[in-house]
Amino acid sequence: MRHKVIVYTICIFFIITLQSTVLDYIRVLNVKPNLLLVFVVAVAFLQGNVEGAVVGFFAGLSQDIVSGKLIGFYALLGLYLGLAVGSVNKRLYRDNLLIIVFFTFVSTILYEAVVYFLNSFNSIINGQGYFLYAVRGVILPEAVYNSVISVFIFIIVRKFSIKFEKLDKASRKY
Amino acid sequence: MSRLSKNRIFLLILITLLIFVFIVATSSRDSKLNWINNILSVPLSPIQKFFTFAGQKIDEALSFFRDIEAVKQENEELRLKVHNLEQENRELIGYREKIKELREALKLKDIFEDYEIIGANIISRDAGNWSNIFRIDVGNKDGIDVDFPVITSSKGLVGRIMITDITSSKVITIIEENSSVAGWIARTGGHVVVRGDMALKEEGLCRMDYIPVDVEVEVGDIVETSGLGGIYPKGIIIGKVVQINKTSNELDRYAIIEPAADFKRLEEVFVLKNKVNVGRSGSVEE
Repeated sequence: MRHKVIVYTICIFFIITLQSTVLDYIRVLNVKPNLLLVFVVAVAFLQGNVEGAVVGFFAGLSQDIVSGKLIGFYALLGLYLGLAVGSVNKRLYRDNLLIIVFFTFVSTILYEAVVYFLNSFNSIINGQGYFLYAVRGVILPEAVYNSVISVFIFIIVRKFSIKFEKLDKASRKY
Repeated sequence: MSRLSKNRIFLLILITLLIFVFIVATSSRDSKLNWINNILSVPLSPIQKFFTFAGQKIDEALSFFRDIEAVKQENEELRLKVHNLEQENRELIGYREKIKELREALKLKDIFEDYEIIGANIISRDAGNWSNIFRIDVGNKDGIDVDFPVITSSKGLVGRIMITDITSSKVITIIEENSSVAGWIARTGGHVVVRGDMALKEEGLCRMDYIPVDVEVEVGDIVETSGLGGIYPKGIIIGKVVQINKTSNELDRYAIIEPAADFKRLEEVFVLKNKVNVGRSGSVEE
């Protein structure tokens, strides 16, 4: 338990720092990947819905603090993202990389669509929502970008996951 | 088992409601809960500063070796030339405009005399792809407060302070959706509203609405802040008109503005701190 808290804290801290600083220099088509989202999906996928929700909440909270308009907005979304991904994963074979790529792709699209709707609620009501533009300009490129990166993050998170399992077993002996 | 999942759903609803309450509680500008920001932002800002600095240096080093460098330089020269020509052009437009401009310049000087100009570096950019909020390295301890205007070194409008922590503050830019600035067309004189727009934001542009019917607008016109609205002082350059969209209805026309500030390449900004009346409250926005 303690190991998990420490590892997740360091991971979130590291990712949010990267996300808000150097990642800006590797924009492709004016879009950068959302490492936090990929991380939350990977954790939820491997560790289940409770851990997914908790990690999602704190990842979202850190994004809120670093660059959000409201505190709690991304935290709430992250919580539901982790919960949803963690709840679906039970019936799937967890070691397949293709599944995580697909999962990241779909969840990025859903997640960013929700963010778009909540963010631009005002303009949509006024008839100035550019949903197609948002899909083409931001959501799809980001989904592709995230899917590629998910492979690497998934491999790292899986290593942690195996370590956690070993530590769990070791502590259960006593 | 079913009791367990029921409990879980109850817990989930409870947490969701709590977060909602929290969002509402922190959404007001003078919220008591804003100290939460400090928990993460104070330890994070020096680290972010380092990463941004390193990124900038690497970026600079890389771009030095690229062939683009020469093109860039040429572009810069041409831009300077265009800028000079434009200035010349503007000077030649007419005596009346000249007087007006001089008057504006005088006022501008007066306005900036009322403000203390505080330099700041950008330490982190937006974590997502949707907005253009960035963080600068001055905060409460430097006397920065919410709604202070932020400009570039060439007096182009960037935005305003959204929230401050001890050592850093968030800046919300003028190209952000839902943000609006009261503008003034410098050449012909006419009050307009410059707003952020979802589709234009990605290219770093914004749109100009509510152009009065009797006011003539041309591509290349400079738009300044009008001083209405209470946040931005009069005479800061917002940008210039790059395109005018005429619809069948004259009232519906709008123009696309290229802001004077280049938001993608921004590295340092200046915050205007009002010397006269600092504890201003209840100013109108949007």
